[in-house]
Parts: sequence; structure tokens; C-alpha cells
Amino acid sequence: HRRLELFPEYSVTQMLFTDVKNAAALRKSAMEGQINGALINPAMLVDPFQALVAANKAVHLQKAGKMKTRSLLSEIIFNLSPTNNISEAFRRFGMSDGDGAVHVVTVHPREDMSDVDTILARVEGRQVPVGEISTFTDVPGIKKLYKVTPSEEKCGSLLEAVVCRMAVKDVV
Amino acid sequence: DGNMASDRSDSAAPLLAGCALWKQGAEARIYRGKFLGRAAVVKHRFPKRYRHPQLDEKLTRRRTVQEARAALRCRKAGISVPVVYFVDYTTHCIFMEDLVGSITVRDHIVTTQQSGDNPESLGGLADEMGRILAKMHDEDVIHGDLTTSNMLLRNGSEGPGADLVLIDFGLSYTSALPEDKGVDMYVLEKAFLSTHPNTESLFQQLLNSYTAASKKAPAVIKKLDEVRLRGRKRSMVG
Ligand SMILES: Nc1ncnc2c1ncn2[C@@H]1O[C@H](COP(=O)(O)O)[C@@H](O)[C@H]1O
Repeated sequence: HRRLELFPEYSVTQMLFTDVKNAAALRKSAMEGQINGALINPAMLVDPFQALVAANKAVHLQKAGKMKTRSLLSEIIFNLSPTNNISEAFRRFGMSDGDGAVHVVTVHPREDMSDVDTILARVEGRQVPVGEISTFTDVPGIKKLYKVTPSEEKCGSLLEAVVCRMAVKDVV
Repeated sequence: DGNMASDRSDSAAPLLAGCALWKQGAEARIYRGKFLGRAAVVKHRFPKRYRHPQLDEKLTRRRTVQEARAALRCRKAGISVPVVYFVDYTTHCIFMEDLVGSITVRDHIVTTQQSGDNPESLGGLADEMGRILAKMHDEDVIHGDLTTSNMLLRNGSEGPGADLVLIDFGLSYTSALPEDKGVDMYVLEKAFLSTHPNTESLFQQLLNSYTAASKKAPAVIKKLDEVRLRGRKRSMVG
């Protein structure tokens, strides 16, 4: 987990799980506020940095009173999307009930790991290092959704293309 | 380098607390620091006290927006610009990729000219500048402030195939008009020839490369000629 440099009172912890057996129940717990983590479809992530960028922006917008969704967790999922369509963002980037893998992102006070412990206890699945996210990435799907052009890939990585769109989507 | 930003009095101060002031411009301050673990440059367009607050806010916001928009538009077309990581539209800060080890085209030309050993080596760079600007104009992006300080050489690369990165798109806008593109090139010509003496033939090489790289270039060069003529006439008015 890492501290947000811009908001040093917060840390972001990311956890990646495979062989998940209780996706539907997890989603329900998240919606009822029993677990404090954004449940993300790992196929739509290129790198943990992408999720960090989304979390940083969510904390910033929450502090500025400018979130587009109702909670910090939904804002993280919304921020991953290249468009401003909230329901589409959830459909593409949020975990679905039948999913066998999930990437969980949680924002918590620096010293307080209780949310992380709750998530670890609730997920029925096998935790793998977040560094393995690329083995879950749906590269063609991401290129299509973010509309990454072949010429763009010549001047930068897929991660850069994705992060740039996330950062400027409010003004395009 | 202990010039930390924590003593800043305006609202961007918390965001800049971990950054060190690097360059002070009339329009913005450039900081260097980290963004989520990556080397980052932060461009903060600070409030201008001499302007009416609401007007200032509007202009500053517009420039931040233009810069972010142009970055994406350019990257989509395969033109290298720093990756934008995060934009704060409330304090007008842009967090972007720090091109560590890069130098400005300006510094590269000055150094090469001073050393005097191989001025011909600048030819490849002029060709590359022409090609990239033609590509940018083909995307209808007008930079608005082209100078050799607003072009970086990644990792000190140079010569043909040089890794050129364009920066500072705060005055950019989109337009398909050859007139706007011609003025863009005129601004560059003025800046180029005044910053780098005796480079008329080098700049001509840039224009030749620009012309060869785009079907739309002849119309732009025609406008450039007109703008030059206007400039000359105006200078004779005194
Ligand atoms: N992303 C960047 N990476 C490295 N240097 C930069 C970057 N952005 C700006 N600079 C430097 O800061 C100066 C002023 O930037 P600007 O205000 O954008 O023109 C430039 O001439 C560069 O030397």
C-alpha cells in the first residue's frame, strides 16, 4: 500500500484476488457499506498505477466537493472510465456478480488497516501480488474502450494512453 | 534545492508541499517532485494580482484546459508530449511526466553553435522539427507559442529521428485555417531567428521539411509569406 503524496493523511491499498467464489455477496456488502473497497474488474487494468491515479483523483474531488458520484468508492471506479457515463463506467470497470477475479482498491487513514483486514476476511478467493495484474489485462478490450490509436502506441505505452485519458476526460 | 513550496500562501500550497520550485515564469511556476511514485513536473498557473479576479480565473482555467486537451489530441496523433497524470482545475495545477535528462532545443542549438565544431548536425533536428509541426498542424492543433524553448529533446537525443517532445500548450487551440497555421510558423520563425543568430538556412531547412511532410503545407507557407510581408510593412510604419 502506498501513501498519496498529495494527500499524505491517506493511504491506498490494492489487493488482487483470483478464484473468487463469492463475487455477488462481495458486491452486495460493498453496496451496503459493509466493506470499504472499490471492487474492480482486473481485466480493465493495465497496471496498479492506473488504479492509484483513479484513487488520487477521487480523494481530490471529494475534498473539493466535486465528485460526480455518491461515494469515494464509486468515484474511483468512475475515474477509471474514459467517458462521463456513470452506468457504463460501472458496467465496464466494476466487478460483476459472476466474476472469478477482483481487484480491490481501498483508501484509508494512514495507520488504520482495519478496512484492509475486513476485505481480506470477506473475500473467498486466493490473493495474488498486485504486480501480477497484467496477466489479467484484456489488452484488446482496453484499446477498444479507450480508443487507443496505433500511432499513439508509437509515442508511449498503453498505460500512458489510459492515464492521459483519465486525467483529461473532464474537459474533452 | 531547499526551495520547498510549503511556504506558499495560496490554495495550491497543500498539493505542492512535496515539490521543489524549479522555474519561475510570468504565467506559471514549474515544480519538480513525485506523483504517485513517478518523477513529475507540476505546472501551477498562479493568480495574477494585476488582473480582475474573475477574468484571471477564467483565463487561467482556459489555459489549463487547453494544455490538457492539446496533450491528448497530440498523443492520439503520435506526437510526443508529456503524459498528463492529474489536473486540478480548482488551483490550476497540471501534474505531468517529468522528462528527466531532457534538454530544450534552444539549449542544444546554442551549445552546438558555441562549440562550433559541427553545426551541420543541426540539420537532422531541423528536419524533425518540420515533420512534427506538419503532423501537429495536420491535426489542426495550433500551438500558439512555438519557440525552441518549448521543444525538448528526450534524454539529450539529437539528429535524424531525434526524440522531440512538444510542451507548453497553454495558448493552443484547434483550427483548420492555413492562416492560423501560418501565424504559428511565423511566431516560431521570429523566435528562432532572434534566439539563434545566423540560422536563416537552418530555419529554411525546417520549412522545407514541413512542406514535404504535409499536403496542406503549401497553403500554410503561402500564408506565412503574407504574414511576413504584413510584419515588414508594419515595422516600416515605425
Ligand atoms: N514535462 C517536462 N519535463 C521536463 N522539463 C520540462 C517539462 N515541462 C517543462 N519543462 C521545462 O520547464 C520550462 C518551462 O516550461 P513551460 O512553462 O511549460 O514552457 C521548459 O522550457 C522546460 O525546460
